[in-house]
Amino acid sequence: MITCGVDVGSLSGEAVILEDGQIAAYSIVRTGPESAATAVEALEEALKKTSIRQGDIEFTVATGYGRVVVPFADKHITEITCHAKGAHFFTPSVRTILDMGGQDCKAIRCDEKGKVKTFLMNDKCAAGTGRSMEVMATLLGIRLEDIGPISLEAKGTTIKVSNTCLVFAKSEVLSLMRQGEPLEEILAGLCDGVADRVKSLLKIVGVAEDFVISGGISKNIGVVKRIEKKLGLPAHICFEPQIVGAVGAALLAADILKRRS
Amino acid sequence: MITAGIDIGHESVKVVLLEGNQILGQAGFIIAGEVEAAARIAFEALLEQKGIGPEQVDRLLATGVGREKVTLADSHRTEMFCHVVGAHWFFPQVRTVIDLGAEGSRILKCDAEGNLTNFLLNDKCAAGAGIFLETVAHMLKLPIDQIGPASLGSSKKVELTSTCAVFAESEIVAEIHRGAAREDILSGVHESIVAKVIANINRVGVEPEVVLTGGVAKNVGMVETFRRILQLEVKVPEFPETAGALGAAILAGNSIRNHK
Repeated sequence: MITCGVDVGSLSGEAVILEDGQIAAYSIVRTGPESAATAVEALEEALKKTSIRQGDIEFTVATGYGRVVVPFADKHITEITCHAKGAHFFTPSVRTILDMGGQDCKAIRCDEKGKVKTFLMNDKCAAGTGRSMEVMATLLGIRLEDIGPISLEAKGTTIKVSNTCLVFAKSEVLSLMRQGEPLEEILAGLCDGVADRVKSLLKIVGVAEDFVISGGISKNIGVVKRIEKKLGLPAHICFEPQIVGAVGAALLAADILKRRS
Repeated sequence: MITAGIDIGHESVKVVLLEGNQILGQAGFIIAGEVEAAARIAFEALLEQKGIGPEQVDRLLATGVGREKVTLADSHRTEMFCHVVGAHWFFPQVRTVIDLGAEGSRILKCDAEGNLTNFLLNDKCAAGAGIFLETVAHMLKLPIDQIGPASLGSSKKVELTSTCAVFAESEIVAEIHRGAAREDILSGVHESIVAKVIANINRVGVEPEVVLTGGVAKNVGMVETFRRILQLEVKVPEFPETAGALGAAILAGNSIRNHK
């Protein structure tokens, strides 16, 4: 049984091809101005890595912001459902999922089957999303992937970025730089701020073990370490946390086929 | 008797010199560097411009975000208090003051005597602040004083769905690429900001007259949008950005009179 899951997010698009419950191929592409084109590009990228042809795919589920415009999708399902399903695939004991994406952040509670019980989402404010990290990386002239490692070189959390709003936090960070504060301390303050915001989201839905983090920001070790510390819990992160939603979509596609036969 | 008021904002320092019921002079200076130094430079520049010696100023009152740092001031009061006093001086019928600053907004309620009775602050989110207008002006390559007038020419407002100013920027970029007219984008931006400023207005209630103060009140697009959404006449003082400094100068005068 070959199925496909496509997750078209705000900053990236992912495609996963699933063959008999195994990930045969996956891809991550940057979201372009057209969500449909992003989905096609993601699928083509994934197909390049396998001998499977597009015609072999029996069912495709699309998820994410751009899910409704994916031209080759047979069905679309919300990213909340897909993330829970995907997290359950990688960590079967999962009960709480934190998905930190480019433009939003979701705290999801699920049951032992990976079915969503409750969730809470912040998609109204850029603070604490992947976008805020990108903006800060550009402002500070460093690469996005370097934020986490550099932040861990800080002596502690000596700097607190007091503004929640990203627009105001930018001015605050600029003035911290002008005052000659070390880069690693500023980054530590930023990562700590994101962890604080996420913690308040998680507290509302309640945290139960095991705890999984998915989405692009989970690649930021500085944020992850601080979330773990604040929650007093280890976070399970799979080998590629950006594809969790797409994996969930592909699994749900397989479920649909199984039910039909 | 000459009194002075200094209002320290996020972006600029405003100074007003008052003699009795007459404004002798007023000025706004962009803050560069330290608040204390900026306040001193602004105060001295206005005195020099008006040919008034510092010894002639009987009392100086500071207000605004950095008011405690202004050591040359004799005392300080909150900007909420001062804005209401300033607005009441221009419009004695005022009951609601909406102060629109670079980094936030305030809704202030007052009684017939111009005493502050209730207030609501928004300084946590840029989506309802003047800085968002600056960003948009920059994106559309228009001087900040032209975006208000330009927005009035809109026939088909662009609806912005984002709550966050950062996300709204991406939305605006998409609209520009889609070929939306500049005035239609601006109209949508003005509406989005006004909606955010008054989102929680029912918590304090809105009563006429409504007066807009702060630098953003110089934008006719904002004023028109407030009128349309509130369905109320909205008054704007001649120099809305110095209303807080004026209030401070008035309060400085009151405190001298009360101590005599």
